[in-house]
Amino acid sequence: MKPPAWAHFVLWAVAGENEAEFVAGDLHEEFLLLCAAEGRSTGSRWYVRQVLRSAATLLGLRFRSGEAAHLVAAALVAVAMPLLLLDRLWSFVYSHIPLKDGLERAPGFWAANVVCVCVCASMCGSLAQSLPRAAGVAVASAAGAACALWCGAAPAPLVYAGLVILAAPASSMAVYAWRRSR
Amino acid sequence: MAKGDALGEFEYLVMLAVLRLGTNAYGMRVRQEIAARTGRDVTIGAVYATLERLAEKGLLTAALSDPTPERGGRAKRSFTLTGAGMEAANRARQDLASMLEGLQFPLAGGSQ
Repeated sequence: MKPPAWAHFVLWAVAGENEAEFVAGDLHEEFLLLCAAEGRSTGSRWYVRQVLRSAATLLGLRFRSGEAAHLVAAALVAVAMPLLLLDRLWSFVYSHIPLKDGLERAPGFWAANVVCVCVCASMCGSLAQSLPRAAGVAVASAAGAACALWCGAAPAPLVYAGLVILAAPASSMAVYAWRRSR
Repeated sequence: MAKGDALGEFEYLVMLAVLRLGTNAYGMRVRQEIAARTGRDVTIGAVYATLERLAEKGLLTAALSDPTPERGGRAKRSFTLTGAGMEAANRARQDLASMLEGLQFPLAGGSQ
């Protein structure tokens, strides 16, 4: 019997490398006891509640150890900065084309941004040595992408924004999983 | 005694739970022990944050055990009190006893 996968992922994403394995093991042990005593749905509810109520404390612990600061820095350098630089670059390019300044960007530019973000996030994910770090990089890269979109010169189309915010964590996790499987 | 050396209330509860559990003092057991004895709905995150803080202060020491199937193949970290931890627990007990001395409980007007 396994706890809800999404709650399990949240736990690995918020807990630091030093704690994630032990906290997950403790919760798993108690989850199994609860499932045997009161049924799976009670066990799952209890697990989700524990993860959500512990998230801020575990994240605080991760910040205190300095690990979270590294993740945030990695996400900013690997995802937010390239996105912002590309945004400025496209603005510059458009400003030099007569009658194009102020117009909506071509889909090709948005596609280039998505590819660039995927490559950068993948590199970031490939450096992660453990699942908590990879999950942390994934969450931080999604947040970094969202920040970069928010700070962009022009409002981004909704589809593009959603794609970037999803593609950044997905590619970093995919590369981490691929490296682990090898 | 420096200000940071004094034990907080929850820190004291966690240390007492570790003492009670002996060699079996790890996150889940500590959480259950506190919940069973005080009736508080304690989260595993709060327990781990406190255990980490106490270990950083040098009051607890941690030991790793082998992974087990009931933990989903994960290792366990058990805690024991150090000499400094014993001293801090004794001091906290003494402080509490001296503050309680001469007071009558339950206090009038309280619910318990």
